Amino acid sequence: MSAITAEDLKVFVEQLKRLLADRSSETEVRRLSETSEGYDPTVWKALADLGVTGLIIDEDHGGFGGDAVALERVMEEVGAALLCSPLLSSAILAPALLQALDDDAAKVRLLPDLASGAKIATVAITGPSAGWIEGHVAVDAMAVGTDWSLTGKAAFVTHAHIADVLLVVARAPDGVAVFEVDPKAAGVSLTSLPTFDHTLRMSDIDFAKVSARRLACNGSAWQAVEAMIDLALIALAGEQAGGSRRVLEMTVDYAKNRYQFGRAIGSFQAVKHMAADLLMDSESCTSAARHAAQCLASGSDEAPSAISLAAFACADAFSAITATSIQMHGGIAFTWAHPAHLYLRRARADAHLFGSSDFYRERYVQQLGG
Amino acid sequence: MTTQTLTDEALKAEVTAWLADHWKPKAGDQGAGFGLHPQRDFMAKVVEARWAVPTWPKDWYGREMSLAQAKIIEKAFAAVGAPGAGQDRSNLWANTAMAHATPAFKKTIVPALLKGEVGMCLLYSEPGAGSDLAAIRTRADRKGDHYVVNGQKVWTSGAAVADYGMLIARTDWDVPKHKGISFFFLPMKQPGIEVRPLRQITNEAHFNEVFITDAIVPADNMLGPLNNGWGVLQTALAYERSVMGDAARGPRSGQDNPKGDSALVELAREAGRLNDPVIRQEVAQVTAYKVLNRLNNARAKAELAQGNSSPIMSLGKLAMSRILHEEARLRSKLLGAGSLLEGPDHPRAEDANFLSLNAYFTSIGGGTDQIQRNIIGERVLGLPKEPEVDRDMAFRDVRSG
Ligand SMILES: Cc1cc2nc3c(=O)[nH]c(=O)nc-3n(C[C@H](O)[C@H](O)[C@H](O)COP(=O)(O)OP(=O)(O)OC[C@H]3O[C@@H](n4cnc5c(N)ncnc54)[C@H](O)[C@@H]3O)c2cc1C
Repeated sequence: MSAITAEDLKVFVEQLKRLLADRSSETEVRRLSETSEGYDPTVWKALADLGVTGLIIDEDHGGFGGDAVALERVMEEVGAALLCSPLLSSAILAPALLQALDDDAAKVRLLPDLASGAKIATVAITGPSAGWIEGHVAVDAMAVGTDWSLTGKAAFVTHAHIADVLLVVARAPDGVAVFEVDPKAAGVSLTSLPTFDHTLRMSDIDFAKVSARRLACNGSAWQAVEAMIDLALIALAGEQAGGSRRVLEMTVDYAKNRYQFGRAIGSFQAVKHMAADLLMDSESCTSAARHAAQCLASGSDEAPSAISLAAFACADAFSAITATSIQMHGGIAFTWAHPAHLYLRRARADAHLFGSSDFYRERYVQQLGG
Repeated sequence: MTTQTLTDEALKAEVTAWLADHWKPKAGDQGAGFGLHPQRDFMAKVVEARWAVPTWPKDWYGREMSLAQAKIIEKAFAAVGAPGAGQDRSNLWANTAMAHATPAFKKTIVPALLKGEVGMCLLYSEPGAGSDLAAIRTRADRKGDHYVVNGQKVWTSGAAVADYGMLIARTDWDVPKHKGISFFFLPMKQPGIEVRPLRQITNEAHFNEVFITDAIVPADNMLGPLNNGWGVLQTALAYERSVMGDAARGPRSGQDNPKGDSALVELAREAGRLNDPVIRQEVAQVTAYKVLNRLNNARAKAELAQGNSSPIMSLGKLAMSRILHEEARLRSKLLGAGSLLEGPDHPRAEDANFLSLNAYFTSIGGGTDQIQRNIIGERVLGLPKEPEVDRDMAFRDVRSG
């Protein structure tokens, strides 16, 4: 059950829209894309003040107790504005994992600072083979007295370069567990990765006998990781839906106002039909994202398959929309100065984080009984 | 010369021997981008030895040879990676000049173009005239023995290094839009021309804005008759589109890429994905697009060699657009999360991402896929044309936007 009512959410989203219009303009997105931090701490503070960083954190730990529906809705705005921030890492992955693990001491220790935005956390999940499945975890954990020591590699870790806390998924002798690591600890080395989506920051992390604190888990830690990934997929689906709608708007607007052969290019059937397909994809994307969120929030049995569906349908829709949009604009969208490619790059990143469309299509067919 | 009676075997021997004597491959030299060729010395020898345009008249560096024999020469050049052959097919600048330039201008410009001594660009598109090229507003006004040109062009590839631009400009405003356009070779290195590079989505700057203010072009540089530029443009566009249907720019990372029909199989194997049945299907499909385009082009050329023009000629650019977009998509898919990256340390990802962006060079540049489909429907299949509201009114009265 969400602690945020539908009415509150509406007001909240309106406030967020205003904040993003003001602080995540295209100019700002481009400026931040060129910085090494990749985000603006003052905007992060503003997001925290509004309650975005604490959105899904429960009220006992300084958050708002928002559910998947609230998260999805917020991410639609974030996606439309191409916000540059560690939201995915610090306000979604890390709190979702901590809440799924249910280590009370860890929640008390970490969640309030994540909710207030005072600290930034991220989660290291997959190894270099980048499958986001249990078999791809490539960090090993060894007990050293009451302490633990981590050795191995994590890949594609989002926003690790600015993280104050790393949550590392690693293989302990008794199975996968989650460990809390200080990124400045001896033996941690970060390599920043050059990303095709310039609004995203990722690193590879090498762990060499890094001292770590094991987080307790009420049940299987890998199941907690899966619960976290499911929520992240819904967040990405929301981002894809919001991005899709913004690109659709921008493109249809252009088709109405660009004249060739004495008429608006949108009057040509070839263009009109592409526009109709954009709408079909973008509406389907929004429906898939919202349905998955609703299913998860209400604890429906359908949730797992609805999440798989959203994972590939939204990824494919946003990719297709951003690709077609460039074609519909013609030469102007081949320029760096035009925003079309910024969305295309974001669409490509979203489509690969946490697993490919093919992976989720396969999972979907299995969930359907195939 | 007795090329008419030359057997295929003798021709092959002659060209192979010539190449052995004259061609010294240099590392790092890729083919000509925009007219100017990095290996001009060698290109000059190719032209003098009449290998560049063998189907052309003997007075014009040719051998009056059949297309079939010309192909033997092209193949021999390709086998050793030597540039300069096949220009009777691929050199859009020289072919356009050859067909339409005045005798005096032709004499100086054609050999220079064949030898790769002049940088070239295409001054067609304008902010208000892309697909609708006949809507251009750049003007050329006669003054004595020259024309004065004013206007703005955009998306002009290679303008920054060009010596000449093939320019379309309006020379009569009182007739319908297709009927008042003339075609020029505009000298680019003069005070009235300002070139501003545009940053592309590939983070390169090959194309430019060109601002033209009182630039001068000699009347002798006009191709075809006054106000007949639209017809000349059709020749030039046909060559451009045929070239774009034959080939496109490859990866840019510098890392070796597998070649030939098994290239995608190799990339799939390298990525460890060759056992995935979905990937196997897609590798087959994308490779098929490539092979089918090649087979189509070969059939078109064979028909052309028989003296018949082939409707297949118009398909190449559209086919190439699909090949490029689909190959890029598949390359990204093979890399999975690896395709999140770019840059020299991640050459496979760099190539996949670059190719996915640069595919729009072919699907937008030189006439968009949508315009190509219209052309195929109307000119090849004879489907009725869409009504064009401003086709018959004086250009002066046409609405712009
Ligand atoms: C990389 C690159 C390099 C280029 N290099 C050059 C160059 O060197 N010289 C030069 O002169 N130009 C160059 N161009 C310009 C290119 O030829 C034009 O971009 C192209 O013709 C499209 O024109 P436009 O950009 O104005 O788009 P528009 O004509 O505005 O088209 C916008 C959209 O409308 C569609 N559309 C327009 N009319 C119709 C119709 N009748 N039916 C159906 N759909 C339609 C188009 O397909 C497109 O999707 C280059 C372009 C690119 C991308």
